[in-house]
Amino acid sequence: MGALDGKVAVVTGSGRGIGRGIAMLFAKEGAKVVVNDPGVNVDGSGGDAGPAQQVVNEIKAAGGQAVVNTDSVAEFAGGENMVKQAVDQWGRIDILVNVAGILRDRMIFNMAKEEWDAVIATHLKGHYNTIKPASVLMRQQRYGRIINFSSTSGTLGNTGQFNYGAAKSAIAGMTRVVAKDLGRYGVTCNAIAPGAATRMTQTVPDSARQLRSSAGITGAADTTAPARQSAFGGLREPEFVAPMVAYLASDDAWNINGWVFNVSGGSVSVAHHPTAMRTIFKPGLWTLDELDDAVGAVLMKDINNPAPPREDVEVPGRDIPARPLA
Amino acid sequence: MAKPLEGRSYVVTGAGRGMGREVALLTAALGGSVVVNDPGVNVDGSGHDTGPAAEVVKEITAAGGKAVVNTDTVATEAGGENMIKQAVDAFGRLDGVIHVAGILRDRMIFNLSESEWDDVVAVHLTGYFNVAKPASVIMRQNRYGRVIAFSSGSGLAGNAGQSNYGAAKAGIAGGIRCLARDLGRYGVTSNGISPAAATRMTASIPDSARELRARAGIAQAPVREASIVQQLMAPHYVAPMVCYLLSDQAWNINGKVFYVSGGSVSLAWDETPDRTIAKGGMWTVDELRGLVPSQLLAGLQNPAPPPADLDLPGRPVAKKSA
Repeated sequence: MGALDGKVAVVTGSGRGIGRGIAMLFAKEGAKVVVNDPGVNVDGSGGDAGPAQQVVNEIKAAGGQAVVNTDSVAEFAGGENMVKQAVDQWGRIDILVNVAGILRDRMIFNMAKEEWDAVIATHLKGHYNTIKPASVLMRQQRYGRIINFSSTSGTLGNTGQFNYGAAKSAIAGMTRVVAKDLGRYGVTCNAIAPGAATRMTQTVPDSARQLRSSAGITGAADTTAPARQSAFGGLREPEFVAPMVAYLASDDAWNINGWVFNVSGGSVSVAHHPTAMRTIFKPGLWTLDELDDAVGAVLMKDINNPAPPREDVEVPGRDIPARPLA
Repeated sequence: MAKPLEGRSYVVTGAGRGMGREVALLTAALGGSVVVNDPGVNVDGSGHDTGPAAEVVKEITAAGGKAVVNTDTVATEAGGENMIKQAVDAFGRLDGVIHVAGILRDRMIFNLSESEWDDVVAVHLTGYFNVAKPASVIMRQNRYGRVIAFSSGSGLAGNAGQSNYGAAKAGIAGGIRCLARDLGRYGVTSNGISPAAATRMTASIPDSARELRARAGIAQAPVREASIVQQLMAPHYVAPMVCYLLSDQAWNINGKVFYVSGGSVSLAWDETPDRTIAKGGMWTVDELRGLVPSQLLAGLQNPAPPPADLDLPGRPVAKKSA
């Protein structure tokens, strides 16, 4: 017996990479799957029904049930369509997994409005476009699982990804809100911030990584990759993300709601909520001088600048000695 | 001694009312020249009124400060570019942008219409891009600058009925962290404020909604309760931390989000991994079923648990008494 026997799932972006691994495992665990993927390039251009069809073929060959959907999540009608297809085909929707995404990396000062819009449309609006129609049905049936895809590029920050990082961090926030909107109806909503070697991560050139680290800029990967990731260095296959997603989709996970999980290789972490870490308090209005004392000595003590100004940049304030705590 | 922001020039979005207004007033009092941006819309984004921004400019100039009115919307690329350009035209330079502007269209996700989603994301999140982009070009060239954006506990902690606003505000926090990494090496800092204050915007949440949430056991973004703090909910309490981040002293504070309410200033956790389970291979669903509740999530609560009388697959059946 599978963990997802009889469940109906929509998995966006499941023609390749992490989404594909999820669709395959879901089917193996007994779920019927709408395999959504318009088969675009990493930058969102093009279109190819092949990848989704290929996954459906593989699932069927292994004795599972799946149908192809090639709508774009960036369209409101596209999101509605794929949810409708699940209902038309199998009478309901139990699980929605939002993996679809594109990249248009660029430093903020070079980023075109169109590059911002395209990434926000697919990732962030794409989550709204599927969650909205699914939530209506899940609320009515008092059951459902929504699993979103965030990223450490947003939850921790990364160079050259203002659009992608903002969208992915927004998805983490949306996950926490939707969890609260739907929890009382027996629906859970969680998110995964994955690490895996896919077509998408290959677009980041090694030279860019080297440049960042030589400039002392903390990238998401540097912060998140625990030592174990290098110890288990070979485990970056996208399939490794799928078991945690399948677990969150199962009945057993009925009370897990509103969390972001970092999943990479054999490592699964629950992320800190961005709650208050340290506090300074005064029963009145702060002055700038008081803040300078308290921020330096308490609030930001031993907290590093993730991208410090280069040595040759003349930074006003750099030469001001830290004020000793009175 | 020179004022800390003397000779510098700033754009404050949404500066006609509430917290934005207070940021503009204090920035000007500390010597900064300010583009006071506010299209004077209603909380839901409708309408238009040049009055609020003009009023703030009048106050600043009457007190001997420098300010100009801008009534563009941050929701368009041209609007964002315009207000940055206006700072350069009026004051000859640009040293900082503070993005406070925002609207609300609260609705539970299952009732949230596409336009309610789009409008809120456009003002808060795309509005952030619309000002940060042109500002970053100038700041990178100057090897100096400050970008401060307003996030919210609604997205950081999550608040029912605000998936559009919460997503946009959490997205801003992500943008803050990315911007910090793109611009830090050029002497620019990027930080965020997650404020709490009694303003026109918070007054729009009906008390009945708060009561409903509390009755249903839905956790919400914390409302700080001590009476002394209640008195400190006036919006001007948010301004000093913003202006401190603008000052030269804060040259090395970058990529952080600060909760500010009354006299309380907190540094928010980065969303780093908190607890980890690891295996030298691929997990099975069965293994995760054993370890996730008992280890990874031990002691952590569901923020909106299903009611006890809901027949829920997977839930142990013992709890029928309630």
